[in-house]
Amino acid sequence: MSWLKKKSVLIPLDFSELSYEAIAPAREYVEAETGLTLIHVLASLHPADPAAMWNTLDDEQRKQKVHEFLAQKLGEMGYKEVQIKVALGDPSTEIIDCAKEIDSDLIVMPSHGRKGVSRFLLGSVAERVVRLSPCPVLILK
Amino acid sequence: MKLLQKFNRRWWILGLLLVLIPQIALAQDEAGSGGGIEGIFQNIVNVLNLLIYFKIGGENGIPFIVLWLIAGGIFFTLRMKFINVRGFKHAIDVVRGKYDDPNDEGDVSHFQALAAALSGTVGIGNIAGVAIAIRMGGPGAAFWMTVAGFFGMSSKFAECTLGQKFRIIKPDGTVGGGPMYYLSRGLSSIGMGKIGKGLGVLYAISCAIAAMGAGNMFQANQAYAAVSNVLPFFNNLDWLFGIILVAIVGLVILGGIERIGSVAGVLVPAMAVIYTIACVWVMLVRFTAIPEAIATIIGSAFNPQAVAGGAIGAIIIGFQRAVFSNEAGIGSAAIAHSAARTDEPVREGIVALLEPFIDTMFICNLTALVIVLTGVYADPTSAELDGARLSAASFETIIGWFPYVIAIAGFLFAISTMISWSYYGQLAWAYLFGDRTVNVYKVLFLTCGFIGTIINLDLVLEFSDIVLLAMSLPNLLGCFLLSGIVARELNKYMTRLESGEMLAEIEEVREPVLK
Repeated sequence: MSWLKKKSVLIPLDFSELSYEAIAPAREYVEAETGLTLIHVLASLHPADPAAMWNTLDDEQRKQKVHEFLAQKLGEMGYKEVQIKVALGDPSTEIIDCAKEIDSDLIVMPSHGRKGVSRFLLGSVAERVVRLSPCPVLILK
Repeated sequence: MKLLQKFNRRWWILGLLLVLIPQIALAQDEAGSGGGIEGIFQNIVNVLNLLIYFKIGGENGIPFIVLWLIAGGIFFTLRMKFINVRGFKHAIDVVRGKYDDPNDEGDVSHFQALAAALSGTVGIGNIAGVAIAIRMGGPGAAFWMTVAGFFGMSSKFAECTLGQKFRIIKPDGTVGGGPMYYLSRGLSSIGMGKIGKGLGVLYAISCAIAAMGAGNMFQANQAYAAVSNVLPFFNNLDWLFGIILVAIVGLVILGGIERIGSVAGVLVPAMAVIYTIACVWVMLVRFTAIPEAIATIIGSAFNPQAVAGGAIGAIIIGFQRAVFSNEAGIGSAAIAHSAARTDEPVREGIVALLEPFIDTMFICNLTALVIVLTGVYADPTSAELDGARLSAASFETIIGWFPYVIAIAGFLFAISTMISWSYYGQLAWAYLFGDRTVNVYKVLFLTCGFIGTIINLDLVLEFSDIVLLAMSLPNLLGCFLLSGIVARELNKYMTRLESGEMLAEIEEVREPVLK
């Protein structure tokens, strides 16, 4: 099976249980844990958020905090050597950009099964990633 | 290329909006005043009225929802043993920073949180809303507004304490708080998880819709009234004004151009100060008439003439306009207050009780005094003036150029309030549909802002009123159920405060910083 092994696999995380569960199957595809890159995409603050209004929390600090949070959380889950990235903007765009940047061979993510209004309005992040990805995408069900 | 993509993403929605809006306007013109957009809104309002505005006690009775708010204010005032009076001095001490601890969790200081919440509450309602109250309920309505403000301080205390207590700190350091959180998390902590979840959803739905009304359409409508009052150029160009206003707000909330937001953030307090000075000026000019004006306000509160429903009618109008202005019992302010940096929920609740005081008991009363002192409201020749136009006409009798200041202040107040409410509404939307579709909400929000400028005040007001008041149903019900927790926390806090150990703690923490 070693011909199936990938050098670099990207896993988008949105702090949901489902997204953390994508790490284990993704691990199967790489030789070493360092081949796993996890990305979380933050939305920008609304200008009326008190933190934005008084400029007490900027985007760099927010990224830094998420980075620390994920490093600890993943460490507790037993993934101490994974790469962690935090971006800011539209989730699907940032995920695709990151996949290109790290030249990933595969993206692994859950489908989330969004229903109803939001499904109708924008479709899921997974759908957009599948459409625009430079590499194969594995959608977990 | 990436830059271009980002640019596109941001602007296509705004572009789409600019193309669509004139279409809507044209459609409305063709349909005439009876049908079209106004007809649709009238139908929505009729259904909502039937649901929550039914009157208790016959034709001249009190609408259920107003009674609900009055009961809420009185209940919390008694349950918290007049926290609105006994917490007042401590509130000022806290806002001055005496108890700030930079090591506590949260994003902003007590003062900053209060200012953020005030930018949502101090709006054109403080200028126009009072005029509407006096027009509909006579000068006595202003007295009942003050009473409502007084009781509102306690409701506000309860909801903001809960907002702090049940907030969550997200991984990126931002705070999630407000009624959606205390309804779901708070009620599940006392074994009512299912009710809490239901109330949370109900609250989010009403908040997302109410943000479109009181925090948006009403603001836009009255900003247009204030500006077209001094710039006759806009008289038949309400759609043009609507586009300008919506474009500015859109640049901030969709385009992420925070600079406009922060400019408004600086100008709004400045405008509030100028407005206050002008009010005091009018009072000085008419100094000798003040006792009589106060007598008129209090006298007509209990014995109003030509007001439908008599004293009860004045009470209803006063409470409704006060809540519309200070949002006590509505729960929205708890969202901003939960961001305060503190580990004492009660402390932020006490800060929050200053809000109805500043907004209603202070600023609204100033406006009321000016309107009554100048007597324009009673002049039969100005009977058609309402809202911002009536306030402007009142000031004009003393300070000829003041309608211009009202126009500028009204415009800025409207922008800052619309930005704040788009945030509240967006959080509610995200609670229901997730973060990713918030742009859809923003576009809906801006569309409503535009519609608000082109349809008439009565309809905007009726719609805004009913959806804003609807928020108090799930919110106050949750607060009633959680009032035991608030009362317990308050007692513990007050005991510790009175023993003096709190200040000692703060001193201890500060010492290492000084070294």
